[in-house]
Amino acid sequence: MPSWPENRVHIGSHAKRIDAPAKVTGAAKYSSDVQPDGWLYGMILRSKWAKAKITKINLDKASKVPGIKAAILDREGERTVRYYGEELAAVAGTSKQACLDALRSIDVEAKELPFVVHEDDAKDESSARVWDDHPNLSKPRVREQGEVDKAFSECATVVEGFFTTPVQLHHPLETHGNTISWTDEGLTAWSSTQGIGSVQDGLANNLKLQQNRVRVISEFMGGGFGAKFGPGVEGSLAARLSQAAKAPVKLMLTRFDEALAVGNRPSSFQKIKLGATSDGKLHAFELESYGTAGIGSGGSSEGGGGGAEFPAPYIYKVPNIRVKQAGVTINAGSARAFRAPGHPTASFGMESIMDELAAKMSIDPVELRIKNDPSEVRQKEYRLGAERFGWKEKYKKAGSSAGPIKTGVGCAGATWGGGGKGTKAEASINPDGSIEIRCGTQDLGTGSKTVIALIAADILGLKPEQILVRVGDTRYPPSGGSGGSTTTASVAPAIYDLCTKALDELQKQSGMENARGENWAAACKKLGVNPLTVSGQWQEGLSSSGAGGVQFAEVDVDTETGFVKVKKITCVQDGGLIVSKLTCESQVNGGILMGIGYALYEERVMDKTSGVVLNPNFETYKLVGLSDIPEIDIVLLDMPERGVIGIGEPVTIPTAAAVANAVANALGVRVGGLPITPARVLEVLGKTKTTSEDSKEKV
Amino acid sequence: MKAFQYVTATSPASARELAGGDGRFLAGGMDLLSEMKEYITQPKTLVNIKSLPGLNQIESSPSTWSIGANVTIAEIEDHPELKKVFPGLQQAAAEVGSRQIRNLGTVGGNLAQHSRCWYYRHRDVLCLKKGGDMCYARHGDNRYHSLFTGNTCISPVVSNLAVALGALGANVIVQKAEKPQSMTIAELYAEAWHNPEAHNSLEPGDLILKVELPVRQQRSAYLQMSQKSDFDWALVSCAAAAKVDGNKLSQARIVLGVVSNVPYQVEAANKFLEGKELDDATIAKAADLLLEKAHVQPFNGYKIPIARTLIRRVLLQLKA
Amino acid sequence: MRDSKRKDSFSISRRSFLKSFSTSAAVAATAQVEAVAQELEKANREKIVGPGSVPIALNVNGKPLKLEVEPRVTLLEALRNHSNLTGSKEVCDRGTCGACTVLFDDKPVYSCSVLAIEAQGKAITTIEGLAQNGKLSPVQQAFIDQDALMCGYCTPGFVMSVTALLKQNPHPTADQVRHACCGNLCRCGTYPRVMQAALKAAGVSTTSKTEVISYAKLA
Repeated sequence: MPSWPENRVHIGSHAKRIDAPAKVTGAAKYSSDVQPDGWLYGMILRSKWAKAKITKINLDKASKVPGIKAAILDREGERTVRYYGEELAAVAGTSKQACLDALRSIDVEAKELPFVVHEDDAKDESSARVWDDHPNLSKPRVREQGEVDKAFSECATVVEGFFTTPVQLHHPLETHGNTISWTDEGLTAWSSTQGIGSVQDGLANNLKLQQNRVRVISEFMGGGFGAKFGPGVEGSLAARLSQAAKAPVKLMLTRFDEALAVGNRPSSFQKIKLGATSDGKLHAFELESYGTAGIGSGGSSEGGGGGAEFPAPYIYKVPNIRVKQAGVTINAGSARAFRAPGHPTASFGMESIMDELAAKMSIDPVELRIKNDPSEVRQKEYRLGAERFGWKEKYKKAGSSAGPIKTGVGCAGATWGGGGKGTKAEASINPDGSIEIRCGTQDLGTGSKTVIALIAADILGLKPEQILVRVGDTRYPPSGGSGGSTTTASVAPAIYDLCTKALDELQKQSGMENARGENWAAACKKLGVNPLTVSGQWQEGLSSSGAGGVQFAEVDVDTETGFVKVKKITCVQDGGLIVSKLTCESQVNGGILMGIGYALYEERVMDKTSGVVLNPNFETYKLVGLSDIPEIDIVLLDMPERGVIGIGEPVTIPTAAAVANAVANALGVRVGGLPITPARVLEVLGKTKTTSEDSKEKV
Repeated sequence: MKAFQYVTATSPASARELAGGDGRFLAGGMDLLSEMKEYITQPKTLVNIKSLPGLNQIESSPSTWSIGANVTIAEIEDHPELKKVFPGLQQAAAEVGSRQIRNLGTVGGNLAQHSRCWYYRHRDVLCLKKGGDMCYARHGDNRYHSLFTGNTCISPVVSNLAVALGALGANVIVQKAEKPQSMTIAELYAEAWHNPEAHNSLEPGDLILKVELPVRQQRSAYLQMSQKSDFDWALVSCAAAAKVDGNKLSQARIVLGVVSNVPYQVEAANKFLEGKELDDATIAKAADLLLEKAHVQPFNGYKIPIARTLIRRVLLQLKA
Repeated sequence: MRDSKRKDSFSISRRSFLKSFSTSAAVAATAQVEAVAQELEKANREKIVGPGSVPIALNVNGKPLKLEVEPRVTLLEALRNHSNLTGSKEVCDRGTCGACTVLFDDKPVYSCSVLAIEAQGKAITTIEGLAQNGKLSPVQQAFIDQDALMCGYCTPGFVMSVTALLKQNPHPTADQVRHACCGNLCRCGTYPRVMQAALKAAGVSTTSKTEVISYAKLA
């Protein structure tokens, strides 16, 4: 069984991100930057209607706009569109301006149909059906264990609550899209993607091409968060435009498009009841929930991925449970996997009700969790984190801080799979000592290129700068999509294997017993004229799954304005074997900040009258800014015996829950809905009078 | 954007002529270009007014400061003397957008900017303000909308500078067809109170030339409150200016922003503070008078407690 | 990618107009000539261009960039679609995120919100123009050292904003960094390290609170 070297110099070090220089100089070319000769600009026409029968789309005028080289329909014949933003047609032209003019000249004949865009409206039997063949509200999936009704009567304390989370949008800064060149030779797609293999597969399938004629490249990509798998409708359209125009086509989505049609995190409406015996042990749990995954919620879904279901009672094991989860379809874009699908939603509801229980039973929230969390690792993380955070000093009775700015603290835990396997990689070692490693994985900003360089450096006794790393090409040995926080756990062992084998081979061929480090140059020289090529693959024993953690939050809430400021987050996270410390820490920062966005700012807003997305921009879909960040204190637990485990997703799971708990602790009353806006804070404090439209009440 | 002709004007008169009936003036472009990108406005001609002589200066005399319409918001933010004389204006300027926006955005553009209502700004919603039949906000999500309006449209004025300048008693010099006209801030926005399709009182071809601030023995302050810490439109804003004598204010003006189609002032509230001791009770009463006619929509009731808080904090900041 | 027509423009310089008169006639008719000359100058300056493509001359990173673009083409589009300067990124195209930030005479602006035709006469600096002879600027180096980037898409914009800040204020406080960079958004969450990089480039070292603790050693 292979094992990581005991003496790790570069692995686990603070070595810098190897592609940083390319990124800070503007030299890094993303799919949106690639400019093949004669490239054309591509653009998509989208449905203005939330639901409509499209009877005719006339492209004649569009084709004649000067500069336009191709105009195609998404599909032939009559069709029904089911959300604002659904793709109808696409054009390619010599300039963005020509494309804009062309789109505006396309005539669409449509018969508008009734639609529904709010979950609570869609639940109603009488609402307009999104899909004719089934009601919008699915039959709930029910899971029962023990005897929950009897168990509640046995509890010393029972608490109930209603919690909601919004639809959240991925909004990677680089939009979805591709630059595609489709000639008789074959198709090359520079794709902004987390899975070059999935794009290759999808394009070959959709366009009826042989897979060996499809090449996908993703050397640099500007973020995905789960939304960028497969070619998407936009990828197939770009390919077809390229074929029709006989020129490469760059078709990147606009920010507007990103809010409509390329994925989201489902919403949730959770009614939770939790009971404990007098010793504080959880005894009974009941959850009834629904949520929307857009047009894709029909019927029961398996949860995970894009569905509206989520694990309950999340990380806790309660002997008596009843869980009823349903999905509700609305006329809006379909959900897609979004950074730890289901888990931030699950954590928010569960950890909120846990704090309600703690408050009612006058048990310290950390103690309640240590008592009930089945994971020994997380129990230790709570203890370590609590001390580091200053929990004992900071935790006060809810709502007890003096003055209008109230301070409070909260905590929450997370679990995640991670792990990963299957990567293959190859290397070319040249007689002059230079080395190139090729692996068909992706680097979304996660640092996978750096991971590869650091491992190679340690095994071969070289410096990371000496390793030329190439990723993101379907011509390289395959790895698998970068999702599920599996990339490092899948790639690292493959690189270990590759480099171990490379060293062996080099030693054999050179006749030198030890070709590492200072002997490297001499050994390579003995290769003569041809490079040495080696392959490697993932091996058991160097990685594992299970990446949990806990977070603590401290907030200040201005009770006179409702403004929430997160002051501090302490995170204690399973680290496994940390390969690239610098990039690993950045992932933790990133996950926490995304969690704060979920807690305080982000929600997709639909308009019930027009059926449009009201905030398809960064003006009113609010991302965390530089001034909104708290002090972040990170503890990574070194667990080298577990090997590489993964980190990207677990670190975003408990943040919103911890923040919500801190706000409740500050105020003495709970905001049960995310995002925790000033409006919601003022409402729970009783400072707002809600009124009907016709009322002219004085306030 | 729809294709357009572009021309640089050399005088206000020729600017008006060049714009004609279907042209727009282009200053910083921070508002106009984004409206054009959504095809909400499709001018045939863009008239660059940044070269109009004399409109990009900040000039001061003992009695009056004059700020040209083409002065950028960054220039106001950075002006060391202005900060001392009109702190409320400087604070309002510092909160406009981001540094990148302030480097190009102008005073004239900030005052003349169009509604930020998300129905108005939506390319596929034909709302009342754009000539449609219905105010969608009244029937939909109105969390960001007005508490006070004289007509059906409930989209609020969002200009930070308008609120601060209103409190400072500024006059805006507007080039009309015949000659320049001086308007108070209230007059600059009055048309928007009654007319759902108006963003302000400017008619096509009218050009803001400069803003004139009388130098009085007054302190001023501006506060706003947003969901995010910065680079976020205010939920409510408030500016006040007054002569301060110990704990008493006189000649006070308090203006609320983002709560009405106009920078919102109530004469009775201003007069009430005259010569009174500034304590919790008088501040609360002033807020009562200022908010008396508030008409809350289903989703914007939270603006009331925020407005009360900002009124109090701004007045206390004057006194401090 | 370019598919445009030249539009010839009518242009007479004031000097050459005046030169066309003989000296004595010029003296006598100066007042009238001046008035006419001014009219012509105004006509030159008030030349209507577009809507089709017009020639423009930009000064980017100290080098001339001559293009033919429609008046409605933004500076960002000119850089990304009409030249190979793709370092400035298009993320929102609405002046709400900062990824397109370039410098106009050392001032940070959103290039998506400026018409290319109006960017003439400014000294434009893009991300590609910061490194001198292959040597990274202190801000660029600080971003690398502090790992103030992840996917890198917001990075050029942030580097430009921080560069502009430090030119104006070489020793900013953390609050001043926030105020200067609030117009730049990041989705990956690099903000804490961007702050560290900005301060580092200003000569202030900070430490981030991260620690690796051995799980085996925990009680």
